[in-house]
Amino acid sequence: MTADLKYAFRMLVKAPAFASIAILTLALGIGANTAIFSLIHELFLRGLPFKDPSRIMHIYGEAKERDLKQLPFSVPKFWHYRDGQTVFSSVAADWGNGYILTGLGEPVQVLGENVTANYFDLLGIRPILGRNFLPQEEMHDDVALITENFWRKRLSSDPGVLGRSIALNGVVTTIVGVLPNLPISWFGRDTEVFTVKPFENSNATKERMMLGYSFMRCIGRLKPDVTMEQAQSAMPALVQSYRTQHPETADCTWTSVLVSASEDVTGDLRPAFVTLLIAVGAVLLIACSNVANLLLVRFSGRRREIALRMALGADRRDVVRLFLLESTTVSVIAGIIGWCLALWIVALAPKMAGDNVPLENSISLHWPVLVFTLALSLLTGLAMGCYPAWQSSRADLIEGLKESIRAVSGSRGQHRLRRGLVAAQVALSMVLLATAAMLASSFVRLSNQETGFRSDHVWAAGIGLPDGRYPDAASRGRFAQRLVDEVQASPGVETTATVEALPMSGNYSQTPYARADGNPLPVNHRPLGLTRSISPGYFQTLRIPLLAGRDFTERDGTDAPLVVILSNSTAKKLFPGENPLGKQLLFGVDHGNGLMAEVIGVVGDVRSRELAKANDVEFYRPSPQRSFSFFNLVVRTSVNPETAAPMVRAALDKIDKEIPILQPNTLDTIITQSLGQRRLTMGLLGAFAGIALLLAVVGIYGAVAYTVEQRTAEIGVRMALGAQVKDVLRLVVRQGMNPVLIGLGLGLVAIFGTGRFLTAQLYQISPHNPILLALTAAGLAIAALLACLVPARRATSIDPIQALRAE
Amino acid sequence: MIRLHNLERSYPLGRGQLFYVLRDIDLDIAEGDFVSIMGPSGAGKSTLLHILGMHDHGWTGEYFFDETAVHHLKAKERATLRNQQIGFVFQQYHLLDDLTVYENLDIPLSYRHYSKSERAALVADALDRFQIVGKKDLYPRQLSGGQQQLVGVARAIIAGPKLLLADEPTGNLHSSQGEEIMELFRRLNEEGMTIVQVTHSEKNASYGKRIVQLRDGWIV
Repeated sequence: MTADLKYAFRMLVKAPAFASIAILTLALGIGANTAIFSLIHELFLRGLPFKDPSRIMHIYGEAKERDLKQLPFSVPKFWHYRDGQTVFSSVAADWGNGYILTGLGEPVQVLGENVTANYFDLLGIRPILGRNFLPQEEMHDDVALITENFWRKRLSSDPGVLGRSIALNGVVTTIVGVLPNLPISWFGRDTEVFTVKPFENSNATKERMMLGYSFMRCIGRLKPDVTMEQAQSAMPALVQSYRTQHPETADCTWTSVLVSASEDVTGDLRPAFVTLLIAVGAVLLIACSNVANLLLVRFSGRRREIALRMALGADRRDVVRLFLLESTTVSVIAGIIGWCLALWIVALAPKMAGDNVPLENSISLHWPVLVFTLALSLLTGLAMGCYPAWQSSRADLIEGLKESIRAVSGSRGQHRLRRGLVAAQVALSMVLLATAAMLASSFVRLSNQETGFRSDHVWAAGIGLPDGRYPDAASRGRFAQRLVDEVQASPGVETTATVEALPMSGNYSQTPYARADGNPLPVNHRPLGLTRSISPGYFQTLRIPLLAGRDFTERDGTDAPLVVILSNSTAKKLFPGENPLGKQLLFGVDHGNGLMAEVIGVVGDVRSRELAKANDVEFYRPSPQRSFSFFNLVVRTSVNPETAAPMVRAALDKIDKEIPILQPNTLDTIITQSLGQRRLTMGLLGAFAGIALLLAVVGIYGAVAYTVEQRTAEIGVRMALGAQVKDVLRLVVRQGMNPVLIGLGLGLVAIFGTGRFLTAQLYQISPHNPILLALTAAGLAIAALLACLVPARRATSIDPIQALRAE
Repeated sequence: MIRLHNLERSYPLGRGQLFYVLRDIDLDIAEGDFVSIMGPSGAGKSTLLHILGMHDHGWTGEYFFDETAVHHLKAKERATLRNQQIGFVFQQYHLLDDLTVYENLDIPLSYRHYSKSERAALVADALDRFQIVGKKDLYPRQLSGGQQQLVGVARAIIAGPKLLLADEPTGNLHSSQGEEIMELFRRLNEEGMTIVQVTHSEKNASYGKRIVQLRDGWIV
């Protein structure tokens, strides 16, 4: 065995061209597979770093009849479920919050969460220092848990951190524990602080909260003897009892749906990664078939050696083993190089994905990935080496020993297999290229999708106001107005406004709504509509056209009559054939029937949630009438929008030095980031399709070049018999292109068979788009034709005299 | 029919030196002639045959074929002339292994742009004339050496060339098969075909009308 291994190495060293092509080809295939497997391992297999994460359920609200899914929990509903359920060992809740951290140098905004006291115990997360929250602290004590990052970065790893006080939103808060860094797939990026007052929310009054204002993520850990199905079947009873006991709440009509924690964080990503996994599988198959082809040629050319070994006593198994060792040596070396390639791809992935895919900033390749690569390498080596080794071991001893130095071309079966391999490569490449072309086309269409607003020259940032200093809508309104005025007066600023949540940022809120005339549905049966609180000048800043009526003004304040502006689609949907101006709408849950607001304007439609989806309903409300302690400032500049940051800082310093700027960015960047997952899928798939094309072209070239070499004498004879350059070209190209055309046909059939699986990932393009398919097929055919033409041209330069003499 | 004047063929040896394979060849071959080119190995017999067959273009001098100055023709024009006028018979037959007898006969016609029906008629004629109809669907490996060369001769003349060039046509055959092939050549010559053969065999040469002796590239 060792001797055979040494011999295998020696044979590879002796044939450096073969060895490098085979190793590089396989390395591309194995590298791509390792990279995708490591991403899949990271996202899907490794699981959340919680105790027994498959037992943790995210409980969602759902109202299918109103097309409402994945709805959060309200406080009364949480209490009802926590106290009334029997299937979970514990139920907990959390919701994201921004905190202004003061007392540690410059005031900064940090991201955090308000959680129930049992939250981390339920997840099974133990602090690395200190303790988790105690039940008696919930809603009473100003205590905090911080992450390791916070401790190291902001507190310089202070060993006396426990018991140390920090000011969060102006409230002195005591640190009771340091948590390990937490998975961004569950907590989001940069979440650093946790407090234990989950049932307080400055964005809603107590009355609104008790009427079903929903903002919490509710989770439960299944009891040891309860399955997910059993827990799900227990939900209707809870829903019913909640409905009976809290008929006034907006969320009492929603059903409850359980989603396991692991599925919850990856559900949306599955189709994209299945596509990528299939793509890399195809790349590996193409690479394998290329190398198998090379091995067939190489092993066939060693019939003399095989015959000699058999004459010296080797049996067929010995010969097969020798060749398999050679092929697995190639694949293991390729696996090592592929591993390095995967490291590089994986390092790029988080950058390509942006915030859209919950990948940690530095993904390391864990041991399961190493095992995967090693197994894949060995399997690849065996799979591609088996048939060539078996075929070549069938050498006729006497004929083999008599054979001249010239290599033999192999049996008809081998020829057929080689052509079949080329056809398979082309078919797989066709599918990959077409898929990549469609994803790229979708991406371009999405990138060019009219948003309804202009994002160029717009800078945006979050501003959070501490409840202590800005307790009500009036104080927050005064702050916002002054900030807008100060920034507006800065040089280079065209317009400025505030908005509750930026378009395309992933943040949005929805409110129950109804026409006030006629018989409005009860609050808890009303549909939810996207609602955005804005200041005057928002439409002008984002260049959203005012189609009818008027914009908000400073007069639309807290005490003024409530007003609303509708998007054009909303106006058409709610008031078909009518003039919506002056009409009344009911919003929210206040007083059990919502608050009445008058329609004062209609503006153009905007894609504010996703580029791929138009909003059929979107309302705009004046900030003072629907006030939040957190809002965004948008600034349109006549110069580089990045220059707005220092101007805004200067303006804030004049008003309140302790207010930090959170997540400053340009609106263009925010929109670009919203396409992160698509960019990742498209980028990776495009790269894999490119590799597939390259490998297929190399495969076609290799097959045709080998055929030409084997048929040198025949071509010489044909030329002696009258064949001219074009005849030889036609002969070689036709033979080379035959499997290519078959492969293209098979590829097209495969696309038509599997295209529907891709539909969800496409935008405004059919997976059977004839133009794209035709262009892809034509491109691949041209590449294949070029790959055939090079050896074909060489064939035309065969000197018939030399060819005949050689024979 | 053929006139060679001062024809020479050489190969560079490096440092500006040349190795001459053929020197100062002057040769006339009349229509209907049957010429045997003889000489020891390395005398330049096959080279002369390939120049006559317009496969070899690296020569100097004059070559007239039916008054056409071959030395002035471009490679493509020579190929056209060759396809119209010349047929080849090889020592090793050079039948295409993966084609049947029928298809091997069809090959030269396909390169001369005959229509499908013409090709079918001509192949049928050749099969009939050479009495190999029963073997038309066989592959070369299923034929004896003599039968393969018979197909080789049929293929050489199927497109109706005026000149048949044969390079050691019986070199790979045993004596009785060789005689059959030479008899066939004699009959073809009697029917008007001009034949030039390269041979080592005095006996085969005796089937021809005259012998051209080559030695070290010179006609002696």
